[in-house]
Amino acid sequence: MTSADDGVLAEVVRMLVEVVGEDFLLDVQVGPDTTFNGDLALESIEFVALAEKLRARYGDRGDFAGLVAGMDLDQIMNMTVGDLTQHVEAAHA
Amino acid sequence: MSARRVAVPSLLGEGGVQRGPNTGIPRRRFLFAVPPLTGHVNPTVAVGGELARRGHKVAWVGHKAALEPLLRHGAQIFAAEDAAFGARMEAAREQWLGLRGPAALRFLWEEFIVPLGHAMMPGVQAAVRRFHPDVVIADQQVLAAPVAARLRGIPWATSATTSAEFTRPLAGMPKVEEWVRERIGEFQLDHGIDDLLDLRFSDHLVLVFSTAALVGDTSVFPGHFAFVGPALGRPPGNDFPWEWLDGRPAVLVSMGTLNGAAAGRFFQVAADAVRDMDVQAVLVAPPGAVPDPPSNVLVRDRVPQLKLLERMSAVVSHGGHNTVCEALARGLPLVVAAIRDDQPVIARQVAAAGAGIPIRFGRVREAELRDALAAVLTDDAYRAAARRVRDSFTEAGGAAQAADRLEKLT
Repeated sequence: MTSADDGVLAEVVRMLVEVVGEDFLLDVQVGPDTTFNGDLALESIEFVALAEKLRARYGDRGDFAGLVAGMDLDQIMNMTVGDLTQHVEAAHA
Repeated sequence: MSARRVAVPSLLGEGGVQRGPNTGIPRRRFLFAVPPLTGHVNPTVAVGGELARRGHKVAWVGHKAALEPLLRHGAQIFAAEDAAFGARMEAAREQWLGLRGPAALRFLWEEFIVPLGHAMMPGVQAAVRRFHPDVVIADQQVLAAPVAARLRGIPWATSATTSAEFTRPLAGMPKVEEWVRERIGEFQLDHGIDDLLDLRFSDHLVLVFSTAALVGDTSVFPGHFAFVGPALGRPPGNDFPWEWLDGRPAVLVSMGTLNGAAAGRFFQVAADAVRDMDVQAVLVAPPGAVPDPPSNVLVRDRVPQLKLLERMSAVVSHGGHNTVCEALARGLPLVVAAIRDDQPVIARQVAAAGAGIPIRFGRVREAELRDALAAVLTDDAYRAAARRVRDSFTEAGGAAQAADRLEKLT
C-alpha cells in the first residue's frame, strides 16, 4: 500500500467511527476487509451520514452512489471498506 | 304462532350487511388476496368493509389462522396455505429478525414472496373457482393472485399497503432492480404465463394507501394508479387502562407486530430517554421487554392503536407504513427508527414531508431519541407538516375512494 492509500483508508475509518460511534466499535478492528452490512451492520441512515461525509471530503470522488450503481445484490451485500477506498482512489487517479 | 315476520340478519358474512344508499351499482364480488402480515391485511379490512356496506360480496384468501383475528367476525375466508412453507417461515423467523439492508431484500424475495406465491397458488385458484370474483385485489406481495386472475381473464387490482415502491428505492441500483424483476418474471413463467408483467403494479388499477404529500410528485404515474390515502377503519382492538393517561403529552412507541423482542434494546433506550421528560410513553412491547420501567412508561403487548392515537401527541415508530399513516392521519408528528425493508424509505418520506425525524434503530442513543422526541413535541413545524399530510389523506378519500375505483373495474 502506498501512503496515499493509507490516507484514504484512514479517512474512511475515521468517518465510520464518527458515524457509528467509537463505543460501538470496541470489538471491531475496522480495515479494508470489514463489510458494511455484515461486520458493521450499517443502517440506511448511517450509510446516508457516511455518504455525506465522503462527499464533503472528496467531492465527486466520494460519490458513494456511483460505487453502488454498478453492483449486483451479492456485491452490495459483501461490500467492504476496501471497495469504498479503492473507488475513491480510482476516481482520484 | 304469530305471523309477524322477523328480519333475521344474514349469517353469510359481510354480504349480509344492508345495502347503503349507493345502490346505482349492481352487486359485485371482490376477492382480496393477502399475505399473513397484519400491516398488509388491515387496509383491506377497511376497503372490504366499505364494499360490503355498498352491498357487494367480499371475501379474503390467505392464511386462515392469521386472517381470522384481523377481519370482522363472520368474514368469508378461503384458505391458501401450505404447511411446509409455514414451517419454513417459522424456522427462519429468528434469522429474518437479524437481517438488514440488501440481505433482508434477498430474503424477502427468495425466502418469502416467491415461495409464498407458489404456496398460495392452489388456494387462490380454488378461491377464484368457488367465489367467482368480478375483481381480484392482489396485495403487492401475493404473486399468486395476479397470476390466477390473469389465467382466468379476471380484472385485478394491486393493493399497495406501503408506498415505498412508488419512489423506486432501487433506482440507484439497476442490477438489483433487474434482479427483483427477474424473480417476478420467473414466477409467471413457472405458472404458464409468458406475457410478463410486473406483478407489483396491476395494469387495471393500483391502489396506493398514501398520497403525494408523502410519496412526492404523483402526476408522473398513469391514471390507473390511485393514491387514495390510508384506509383506516379496522375493528377496534384490545383493552387499555385509559385512566393511566394523566393529561401530560403522551407518546406511543410501536416497533411493529413482528419485531417484538428483537427491539429489546430500543425499548430500553426509549424508556430511559423519556424517564426525565414531562411526558407519558406507551410502549407496545412484549411483557418483560423493559424490566422495571419508570413510572411514566407503560408497557403493553397489545393496544387499541387507532383509539389510543386520539390521546397521543407524537409517535415513535419503526416506519411501518400503517402506523406511520395512522399517526399522520391524526396529524401526529413522528420519530422514525427504521429497521429493514421499506422502512428506511418511509422514514425518508416522513422527513421530506417535514412531519418527523429519522433516528437510528440498532445503535440509537438515549440523547438521540430524547432530542428527536422533544423536537417533534415542541416545534410546531412538525405538527403543522403532519397536519398537512392529514389534510391530504382526508382529501384523497381513503377506503371510500378505493371502493369507488374498484367498482369502476366491474
